[in-house]
Amino acid sequence: MSTRWYPIYQRGNPQLRVFLPNFWMKLVRPTEDQPANVVTFAVSTEMTKHDVKNYLEKIYKVPVVDVRTRIALGETNRDLTYGYVTKKDDVKLAYVTMPKTEAFTFPDLFASKGEKQEKDEKSMDESKEGFRRFLDRNKKRPGTPGWFSI
Amino acid sequence: MSSTLIKCFNLAKTVGTVTFKSLLTTSQNQLPAWRPAVVGGVLKCGLHTTQCARQERKEPLMEFFDNPKHWSENEVKVGRAWKLDELRIKSNKDLHQLWYILLKERNMLYTMEHECNDKMEIFPNPERIDKVKISMENLETVVRERNKAYHLLETGETGERPQKLVHNAFGLRCTYRSCEHVLPPFMNTKWIKSRHLGFGGRAVHKFLLQYREKLYNAKRKAKNRSRNEVMMILRRNPNFDLELLKRKFPDVEIDKLRHSDKARGHFVPKVDG
Repeated sequence: MSTRWYPIYQRGNPQLRVFLPNFWMKLVRPTEDQPANVVTFAVSTEMTKHDVKNYLEKIYKVPVVDVRTRIALGETNRDLTYGYVTKKDDVKLAYVTMPKTEAFTFPDLFASKGEKQEKDEKSMDESKEGFRRFLDRNKKRPGTPGWFSI
Repeated sequence: MSSTLIKCFNLAKTVGTVTFKSLLTTSQNQLPAWRPAVVGGVLKCGLHTTQCARQERKEPLMEFFDNPKHWSENEVKVGRAWKLDELRIKSNKDLHQLWYILLKERNMLYTMEHECNDKMEIFPNPERIDKVKISMENLETVVRERNKAYHLLETGETGERPQKLVHNAFGLRCTYRSCEHVLPPFMNTKWIKSRHLGFGGRAVHKFLLQYREKLYNAKRKAKNRSRNEVMMILRRNPNFDLELLKRKFPDVEIDKLRHSDKARGHFVPKVDG
């Protein structure tokens, strides 16, 4: 499309505008300890520092002071049987510094998952128990429907 | 590219503020579940994460996460993707806003997927990503259609990036998508020197010969396979529907094959008269 097909910029040309940017960004948990106002993003490899800054400021309204980027090499893995090498995609990591007043801690998404799972298991056990009782009751008269007994 | 993004997002500023009533007029009854998933944040439907963040503006970065309600869920119910026909009746402004909503949704899903993979948890309903992708593709198709129509009307050209079929260094045909250059080709001596368009060498000739042989063999084998299949069918079922066979194997000469030796079954043929 013509908005994605970038012409060469020469002085005096109108400014290039991208109306439908298709860059992606994902917020990732930092592997090392970071200051509270630094956020780590994995971004499209073709994004520049300025792109990251504008993307966050204009779309997400996040105040940005500084952006540092690096390209992390994708993991390579040698197949044990046949010896061929597989490689995961390289990914660009952007370390975004917000103003000192801002702070962001990566939330713990699965804190309440354990409780919920326990609850689910409990209800499952209960229903299993109920079915076992029903089977016991009907052992001597197989085939009778559930509503038959008093 | 950096400076380009600055101004283009000006329109995106309206995304958060404008209510999406016009977008929802058609999709209200068709997209009961998808609506909250994609445009819920704007609509205050309460199913999307970005809703709280967008209203309070305290933690804009929480827009990268799903609604806290869904964090421990094993299943998140959403509807289907946006269809072409639904997008075609939207105005340009609506499409532009929807694009940013979809973009945010995709970022959110990518973030959640990454975190789930990291923590060895199940990412609920991964097909949400596909649905957003399909919606974005459809939206782009619609915008491209409009773009093309506009360019054809105004300039008589499609406005698409020009491309042509060229032979590469191996003598194989490929599409070349042209782009702008600072210098015209005849002035760009460095480029002229670096161009290796001649593919008349002995090695390339040999490669092309064998490559074409490979293609020809594939074709020949496919043809033989269908021919044998037809003969076997005719041998086992002498009264098979020939019209059906002809429709299924248009390349095979069935009338000729019918009388061939291989197509005859293991029985004494009926002799007329």
